[in-house]
Amino acid sequence: MTREEELKKAVRQGYGKIARQQEPCSCCGPSPCCGGTDLAGEVSRKIGYGDEEMASVPDGANLGLGCGNPVALASLRPGETVLDLGSGAGFDCFLAAKRVGKDGRVIGVDMTPEMVARARENAEKGGYSNVEFRLGEIEHLPVERDSVDVIISNCVINLVPDKRKAFAEAFRVLRPRGRLMVSDIVLVGELPERVQQSVGAYVGCLAGAVDKAAYLGAIRDAGFTEITVHEETEFPLDCMVNDGTVSAALGDLQISGRDLQAIGTVVRSLKVSAEKKG
Amino acid sequence: MRRRLLSILCCPTCKGDLELQVSEETAEEILEGVLRCSGCRIDYPIHEGIPDLLPRGTVPE
Repeated sequence: MTREEELKKAVRQGYGKIARQQEPCSCCGPSPCCGGTDLAGEVSRKIGYGDEEMASVPDGANLGLGCGNPVALASLRPGETVLDLGSGAGFDCFLAAKRVGKDGRVIGVDMTPEMVARARENAEKGGYSNVEFRLGEIEHLPVERDSVDVIISNCVINLVPDKRKAFAEAFRVLRPRGRLMVSDIVLVGELPERVQQSVGAYVGCLAGAVDKAAYLGAIRDAGFTEITVHEETEFPLDCMVNDGTVSAALGDLQISGRDLQAIGTVVRSLKVSAEKKG
Repeated sequence: MRRRLLSILCCPTCKGDLELQVSEETAEEILEGVLRCSGCRIDYPIHEGIPDLLPRGTVPE
């Protein structure tokens, strides 16, 4: 197995496990009532989603795994076709579906079967008729060229080994004048060597993150113009530590509090938009 | 999956058109069936309403 295949397998297994673990239960709404706190809600609020947005999607659709894409959602217009790369349990797709309305459509692509199954259940629960999910890979999108108005992606492209290919595919499927709106994790410095090599840290959205300039360069090289960084924030460390996949990975690596602080300073949450020139 | 969305799907491997063969459907959507690529003839199954369009075999670079 190549390193790339190994990473893909680990990502699929890791997120498959998350999809299975957080089985929706009728009592786990936005209020903490199951003995624990509403961690997904807390993380989501920190990255800019409103309470109203969170309450508007089916329970279990928000797993609190993203790094925030409210800007992208705000730009959607009725009737548009939206593609969500790495749609997970469907949270952003459902918010997008409300924006584009019944004349629009939203397609979520995810390579983890358990996530797609879960998203489909959520769509049924919420009665969404303009949202569809399919199993697929971001580097090999099963979507026709020039067919999508807006691509959104929330903290997923860092998990794709070949980012240049991911952006090239995004460019192919967008219509002329179509928009790419991604939020993701990037780096502005070096991660400790042990973290870089860790498969667990890859699954936890750290080791797969690339340098910010390289990330923006890959978008430009795919053919995009009007590349705009809307927001760059230090990724909230407490969110990272609370994230099950990241904390498990960091736990395995036995990283000290000081190292953790160092990781926090090189990891950024980035929101970028770009356009395919018409 | 719904028929309405079929129009923008394609083969993840060769980007060819997909032909739909339905074995079970409701008024709203297709539950079981196959999406066959007219280009490379690969079959992509639809199971419990979810099309599996993960790439198969060798993918051209």
